[in-house]
Amino acid sequence: MSFQGFIIQLLSGLSVGMVIFLIAVGLSIIFGTLGVLNLSHGSLYMLGAYLCFWLSSTLSQFSGSFWWALFLAPVAVALFGGLMEVLLLRRIYEMEHLVQFLLTFALILIIGDLCKLGWGVDYHMVETPWPLNGPFILGQFIFPRYNIFLILSGPAIFVGLWSLIRYTRLGRVIRAVTYSREMASALGVNVPMVYTGVFMLGCGLAGLGGALVAPMSAVMPGMDMVVLVDCFIIVVIGGLGSLTGAFLGSIIFGLVHAFGILVAPRLAIAFGFILMIVVLIIRPWGLMGKPE
Amino acid sequence: MLRVENIKKSFGKLLVLNDVSLQIKKGELSSIIGPNGAGKTTLFNLMTGHLTPEEGRIFFKEKEITGHSPHDICRKGIGRSFQITNIFPRMNAYDNVQVAVMSWKRKSRNIFSPAAKMVREETEEILDSVGLGDKKEVTAGLLAHGDQRRLEVGIALGSHPELLLLDEPTAGMSPEESLRMVEFIHILASERGLTLVFIEHDMSVVFEVSEKIRVMHSGTFIAEGSPEEVRANDEVQRVYLAEET
Amino acid sequence: MMELTLKRESSRIIAGLIVSFGLFAILPLFIGEGYVSLVNEMLILALAACALNLMLGFTGMVSFGPAGLYAVGAYTTALILIYTKIPFGIALIAGPVMAGLVSIVVGWFCVRLTQVYFALLTLAFSQIIHTIIFQWYGFTRGDDGIVEIPVPAFFHSITNYYYFSLVVVTICLCLLWRIVNSPFGKTLQAIRENPHRTEFVGIHVRRYRLSVFVLSGFFLGMAGSLYCGFNKNVFPNYADMMKSTEMLVVCLLGGIHTFLGPVVGSVVYMVLDKVITLYTEYWPLVLGLVIVGLVIFLSGGIVGFISEKIAVARQRDTG
Repeated sequence: MSFQGFIIQLLSGLSVGMVIFLIAVGLSIIFGTLGVLNLSHGSLYMLGAYLCFWLSSTLSQFSGSFWWALFLAPVAVALFGGLMEVLLLRRIYEMEHLVQFLLTFALILIIGDLCKLGWGVDYHMVETPWPLNGPFILGQFIFPRYNIFLILSGPAIFVGLWSLIRYTRLGRVIRAVTYSREMASALGVNVPMVYTGVFMLGCGLAGLGGALVAPMSAVMPGMDMVVLVDCFIIVVIGGLGSLTGAFLGSIIFGLVHAFGILVAPRLAIAFGFILMIVVLIIRPWGLMGKPE
Repeated sequence: MLRVENIKKSFGKLLVLNDVSLQIKKGELSSIIGPNGAGKTTLFNLMTGHLTPEEGRIFFKEKEITGHSPHDICRKGIGRSFQITNIFPRMNAYDNVQVAVMSWKRKSRNIFSPAAKMVREETEEILDSVGLGDKKEVTAGLLAHGDQRRLEVGIALGSHPELLLLDEPTAGMSPEESLRMVEFIHILASERGLTLVFIEHDMSVVFEVSEKIRVMHSGTFIAEGSPEEVRANDEVQRVYLAEET
Repeated sequence: MMELTLKRESSRIIAGLIVSFGLFAILPLFIGEGYVSLVNEMLILALAACALNLMLGFTGMVSFGPAGLYAVGAYTTALILIYTKIPFGIALIAGPVMAGLVSIVVGWFCVRLTQVYFALLTLAFSQIIHTIIFQWYGFTRGDDGIVEIPVPAFFHSITNYYYFSLVVVTICLCLLWRIVNSPFGKTLQAIRENPHRTEFVGIHVRRYRLSVFVLSGFFLGMAGSLYCGFNKNVFPNYADMMKSTEMLVVCLLGGIHTFLGPVVGSVVYMVLDKVITLYTEYWPLVLGLVIVGLVIFLSGGIVGFISEKIAVARQRDTG
């Protein structure tokens, strides 16, 4: 295959990876800090996509409608997530994993049907906004501008989150709570509020991922489950609870997916699972996670 | 009966046991005492196979057991009760002990016969000897603390151990309860010919019952001997007994 | 004294069994074929849930992927029936046998892990099974599924297949009952309560976990094969996450710590399903709300009881 073809494949994989990174990182942080595997994370991503579609079409007479949607959709999803956390999740932190699984799965059903209720079962499209529509051309090399935008957003958000966790006071608080809920509480930290905040952050990121993906692929029912399973693969590879792990895992996932399709198109879907199985067997806590 | 040679164990950078050796004779009744964090429970964990030492070896009845798995070591004849009550909470007292007895008799793989009638005599005998004969239908998690501790010993007895390691059997008990507990263990031991090693914090119990006491501090034994010898030992006084009072 | 109590108890259980069997047997005389078909479906779901519960409620292993093995059973029977002339009876048994074999391989990997990681790994394998069925178009007909599977003419009658299912399910449940009450079953419960301690009464916990994984897989495959004969079609979605969750919900609805809990759960679930879909197409939404309600508000009931007792065990864990 030509060098150009290789680069295009590489960039395709990365753009897919970076979008899923946003969802996976939320899932990972939530698990790391709250100890809950939030199955409804894919649904929140879908909600973000639908809201982006709805907002950009409702506001279409205003210029820059997409950008408004891109800003508002994640905020809305974050608020929705906050509501979810306060009303429902708070009650199940102390319960067994099975119960948490069922509750978050129930949320998949509820959010999924709410989207159907709100926007029907047909698929919707969002127009790629100016100035990102159209191709990026460098000599012989052609690649969609929007995908480049996605590839750049990924690391930008990663760096932003990483700095937040590492250098700010809020980040220190989050780290303290992640390390030990009891200790942080004893030191005067309002742990329930931190939990809600972290959950909202994770949800907002998922919503952002959905909003970002809307111009690139159709917004439709079922997109929640596909992305959820991909996220599981990524957080297992990268390590549940690790920010860097989610980033690395996403990149690996994106590349495996992109090149897998070239090698064995029909089994490409399975490559991710095989990778997940391999990691779970050799190093269950993932690349960057900590052994229990 | 049990011989520990030059054991070293670390958790990450923390050296918990540093060149520890000991020998336990058959029929002996000894205690290991020492401040919290001295490494006593870790030593037990190494003996029962829950942990593996970095250096050193452990022999039971002259056969090496270093690094063997817990279920293997249990079958060889070492029994144990745990510091934090380690029972089967949602099963009743009878089932708790029965599981151990059935395992010992290698009946646990049986998927066809009803368990209810199996090993009944032995299980009831053990329950009676730990004073829970009338409580066999009670759900273990609902038993009083003292009863739970005795159930623990009962489970350990179900595996027919020759050497019984007891990790703070009187934890959480009042002084009279503690004394009764230890006396009852003592009687059990002599009835069944067991060798006993206690980890204890309750000094009255330790000095009352033990033939031999070993004092551990920061990962090594600092004294070893009869109760009088240990009591008279200056270093022990300084490090441990003074802190206790 | 205990001898007498046991005798009385087992004769009561046998009496109960005969009565229930009798009730199910005379059911078709009173209700229409449509309902008979529903009860048939419920029986098969009950078997699948009880099979899952062997791992879930009795051994404490939360699997996210029982549907995978269920589908293996269903597809094995289907493929044998459409590609060969092997008689129905053998094709039916081949399903659980194949599921059992697959469980050995899958289980070997999965029981190396616990808790969340175990659950995720079972999910991964279940998804792989789904992918294989979905993508191997040439063999499994992929997304189209396998339809019009030839079953013996005798089974074309709904009532006949109902009686057949009833007998098979009853036999399987009796076997499962025996297993649960055997020394093996008691040991499994001990593993659920305290795997650490069970290890130290001489039990090789991992081996027992693998054994129960395989047994569970066998009976899940049996349910799948039965369903294949019932529906005369099989589809890839027999292996998807929704199906797995359905089984988990059924178990939790009825109570995971009793043997008959999943049976009760499957009755409730089927009733809910059929009734709700009469009124709305948003069955997932209602099911979701029901689960939420169950989890949050039924704290006095099943879930709360479990959690309460878990607290006792947790005290020990955080030592």
